[in-house]
Amino acid sequence: MAGFEFLLQQLVTGIANGMLITLIAIGYTLVYGIIEMINFAHGDVFMLGAFSALTFLQLVGAQAVRRVRNVDQAPSPETYLWLVLAMILAMVFCAALNVMIERFAYRRLRRGGRMAPLISAIGVSFMLQNVGLYWKGASPVNFPRFIPQIDLVKEIGIDSFVRFTTKDLFVIVVTVPLVIALTVFIQRTKLGKAMRATAQDRDAAQLMGIDINRTIALTFLLGGALAGAAGLVSGLYNNTANFQMGFSYGLNSFTAAVLGGIGNLNGAMLGGVFIGVLAALSDGYIDPRWTPVVIFGTLNLVLILRPTGILGQESAERA
Amino acid sequence: MVTTAAATRRSFIGVASAVAGTVAGGLPAIAQAASAAQGVQVIKFVSSFPMTGSSYGQTSTVVNAIRMALEEADRKAGDFVIEYEALDDATAAAGKWTADKEAENANKALNDPDVMVYLGTFNSGAAKVSIPILNPSNLVMISPANTYPGLTKPGKGEANEPDIYYPNGVRNYSRVVPADDLQGAVGANWAKKLGAKTAYVIDDTELYGKGIADVFVSSAAKLGMTVAGRDGIDGKASDYRAVATKVRAAKPDVVYYGGITQNNAGKLLKDLRSAGVDAPFIGPDGIFEDAFLKDAGDDAEGVYCTFGGVPVSAYTGDAKVFAEKYAKLHGGNPEAYAIYGYEMTKVALAAIAKVNVKDRAAIRDAIFATKDFKGILGTWSFDANGDTTLTTMSVNEIKRTAEGKLEFELIEVVSAG
Amino acid sequence: MSQTLAPALPTASRQPNFGTLARNLFIAVVLTYPFLDLAFGWQALLAFIPMMLMITLAMGLNIVVGYAGLLDLGYAAFYAIGAYAAAFFTSPVSPLNAILPDSPFFWMQDFWVAMLLAVLVAGLAGALLGAPTLRLRGDYLALVTLGFGEIVPRLVKNLEPWTKGVKGMNPIGRPYLFDCTFGVDPCTIFGTQYKLGMIPYYYVTLAIGALSIFLIIRLRNSRLGRAWAAIRDDEIAAQGMGVNPVTTKLWAFALGASFSGATGAIFGAYLQTISPDQFEYSTSVIVLCMVILGGTGNVWGVMFGGLLIQSFDRIFAERLTGWVHKFGAATGVPAVATLLSNFDLLRSRLFIFGLCLVLLMALRPQGLLPARKRRESALIDETEEEANARHDAAVAQAGGPQ
Repeated sequence: MAGFEFLLQQLVTGIANGMLITLIAIGYTLVYGIIEMINFAHGDVFMLGAFSALTFLQLVGAQAVRRVRNVDQAPSPETYLWLVLAMILAMVFCAALNVMIERFAYRRLRRGGRMAPLISAIGVSFMLQNVGLYWKGASPVNFPRFIPQIDLVKEIGIDSFVRFTTKDLFVIVVTVPLVIALTVFIQRTKLGKAMRATAQDRDAAQLMGIDINRTIALTFLLGGALAGAAGLVSGLYNNTANFQMGFSYGLNSFTAAVLGGIGNLNGAMLGGVFIGVLAALSDGYIDPRWTPVVIFGTLNLVLILRPTGILGQESAERA
Repeated sequence: MVTTAAATRRSFIGVASAVAGTVAGGLPAIAQAASAAQGVQVIKFVSSFPMTGSSYGQTSTVVNAIRMALEEADRKAGDFVIEYEALDDATAAAGKWTADKEAENANKALNDPDVMVYLGTFNSGAAKVSIPILNPSNLVMISPANTYPGLTKPGKGEANEPDIYYPNGVRNYSRVVPADDLQGAVGANWAKKLGAKTAYVIDDTELYGKGIADVFVSSAAKLGMTVAGRDGIDGKASDYRAVATKVRAAKPDVVYYGGITQNNAGKLLKDLRSAGVDAPFIGPDGIFEDAFLKDAGDDAEGVYCTFGGVPVSAYTGDAKVFAEKYAKLHGGNPEAYAIYGYEMTKVALAAIAKVNVKDRAAIRDAIFATKDFKGILGTWSFDANGDTTLTTMSVNEIKRTAEGKLEFELIEVVSAG
Repeated sequence: MSQTLAPALPTASRQPNFGTLARNLFIAVVLTYPFLDLAFGWQALLAFIPMMLMITLAMGLNIVVGYAGLLDLGYAAFYAIGAYAAAFFTSPVSPLNAILPDSPFFWMQDFWVAMLLAVLVAGLAGALLGAPTLRLRGDYLALVTLGFGEIVPRLVKNLEPWTKGVKGMNPIGRPYLFDCTFGVDPCTIFGTQYKLGMIPYYYVTLAIGALSIFLIIRLRNSRLGRAWAAIRDDEIAAQGMGVNPVTTKLWAFALGASFSGATGAIFGAYLQTISPDQFEYSTSVIVLCMVILGGTGNVWGVMFGGLLIQSFDRIFAERLTGWVHKFGAATGVPAVATLLSNFDLLRSRLFIFGLCLVLLMALRPQGLLPARKRRESALIDETEEEANARHDAAVAQAGGPQ
């Protein structure tokens, strides 16, 4: 096996992981962009998204893919229908949850300095984790295999160490359109414009007749919906879920959002892929036990040398 | 020892009363009343396990088993009535055991003159905290689950272990499970038996997981195997694909995982299989639980687990009766460590019945003197270190039953002694 | 804090002031607590030692967060650095133990010296982290500190030859006074032997806590403290008034970290074993919650917030289930009793804790005892209030937007 193929494989892994991180990072970046608050509970919303999708799929009895001798059977056609429904359900569930959290835990704290909402968010995060603990127990649970894993590199007739499977493709195929759709929404629609205006200057936006509460709620709705989607995608891609997954994913995602430049959707994607690839390279070439040190070390270096993130504008520095 | 302790305690009550007297008049009377109201006939057991957070699934079955053992004895031993309190050495904020909470529990037990037996701990790291606290007062500890060798065995841990834990020079800590130095070796032997020449070793970077993986590595070297790679994973990481790629590139004959289910063992296995690593996966008792089956799903099939004992499904005789009774009472199979919780309670009850005095040192000595105890684990004794002489280890394979369910199946019983 | 009961009683009788009386009573109870605990058999002494340590930690964090307004999410890292620094000098398993005893630096193995060194090392680490991050503001700084908090325990874990990795360092040098080594019985004081158990640790923790409070109040009212307040409220204006933001913030980081150094040293000695998993993110978050809950910037508020969170986490949460069961039984209605007896709050502790945080923030977002519009409190003595007024006046004079 050539060293180059090893590198390529780690890059593939990193990019696919980075896509998933991106979906969650967008929730952080939107919320931070508009009310300048680290929504600590966001990762846990994502976790509950995965749980709700899993519960739904179990309830409807969706057929998992059986794996025989490392070869997956094709899933039945109605499986895809269930998956689409599960996606919608998880998105709606998380969007509603996130809007509720904003309404009850954050809204009245909006003018109370930056510490109070942060503590409130930490409190919500604890609550959601406990809900997750009740829901699926303390140990990681299996998320059955619904997406077959077929090595596309081998399918097109190349015999290589590098594997690029249908599952990796699936993550990319789901993430990229969602990010594009969101970008279009924010750039082209009136509601998106309201969001941008609110992010820039809340008081001025209010004076221009924008309903601030509704706009912020919409932001949480969008972030929550993407977290729900990420929950299902993570379940299908990683085939596991546990009540603590929100923390690690959340940390990596927020890091990605900051790296890319807070408030910047393309930046979130860039940051997500950057973190994913960095982690994969560190795992592959250094030692997984050093990976968190590498990630946070890089984060700190980037923040110190370029506090606005890779793609951030100067406005990100306002405090 | 006991009389001097009581004397000092009384003198303290005197000091305290004097001080309290300056604060408010009527308090000393209550203080005396409180200390006088001690039943002579009560002996108290306390246990200290993490009852909050991810260990709850295991620890709650151990506590249930302790209660079962006590109920069966009618809560009596000798002339004494046995009371039992389950303490939690985890805090909500941490979600797992914390050293200061364990220290608090140990001191609580130490200061309660009725407490004669300390059942615990669940985590070896916690035992490191509580053994030295309890040792000077001769309060005996029995653990159903600690497997870190350095707690009892000289030369198996750090240079100053285990003496460092026993400041008064007399052992007070015993355990009814065999330590990891035996289990890691069983894992290596099994790998050898599978015909492996190279092994890839992964641990979860915790005391237990890293310790047992280290034993595996040294045993494997003695058996002539080479270690193709060694990694430590972060139990909270979201995936291990990059590690799996490394393993695939190293092409090992077996993969050994030292760690627990809660540190994402199932996910590691899935990523290995997804990456096309078909080498047998061997793990220790940290993944020998239902939770691992639930976590790993289809990929669990064919995984080997070593365990210091036999699996619930292979229980025979008294152990089988225990499991059936447990299932009837609590609706579900006991976890792997529950039977040890049951056994250690029986040992403690038997020792108290034998000496029939309420004296910590006497009860400690009686428990350490346990010889040829006919328990549900078999007939066994404590050695001078407080380790069980039972060295029965099992190798189990996860197999699919006729109904399509995954289950641990006993494939070999080995004596690791 | 060094007031004793004797002068307190006449004061109270001369001037029937409830606040003074309550304060003196509180001080008396705190000072005599170990004996009260023994006399009444409350068994809570050992809960109070880590509680006081956590509160002292919160005091240190309060300098960074409350006074200087710098959000720090990785404070446990300094706690770890303090604990490991002390262990590094005093533990027989430390690599230093191979060279120190026979070197001219053998005195570094003395616990109190090691504790001072730990304070220095932690303070230095604070300054080192602070220096490059000073131009970051608000949440970016928070993120850097969070990253730092994640890195330090992992470094400890991974640098096994120096730190013993996950096995942790064990044992650790103990503090002592005269001939009495803390935590080792019997304890000799002036030729008499006592069986003291963990009581010396209670007092040394209390002393360090009290000293911290004293120092922190002095600091707040000092020139540096006023500079912190000015920077926190308006950095640009403060700069215009001649406050150097770089050194001011660096001092906040260094001093804040140094308190955790002392606390870490005591914590390690008290437990006699330290391992990297004792210093994880959750510790940082809890300490931060204590600071903000009580009232950022107010020493007494932080103390109160700390007491509240710690007693909930360690004492009430555990007994809550029992109370609920008893309440059910007390109602006398069989249906209610059975319903409530099935109630196990053990698994809902995290939820209740989170809910409390959310509710408290919703009801009192500035914390229970906010620094500026602070309520009258039994615990605030007059000199403290005078000092506060002086401080406010000084800041107003300096042009700060009070």
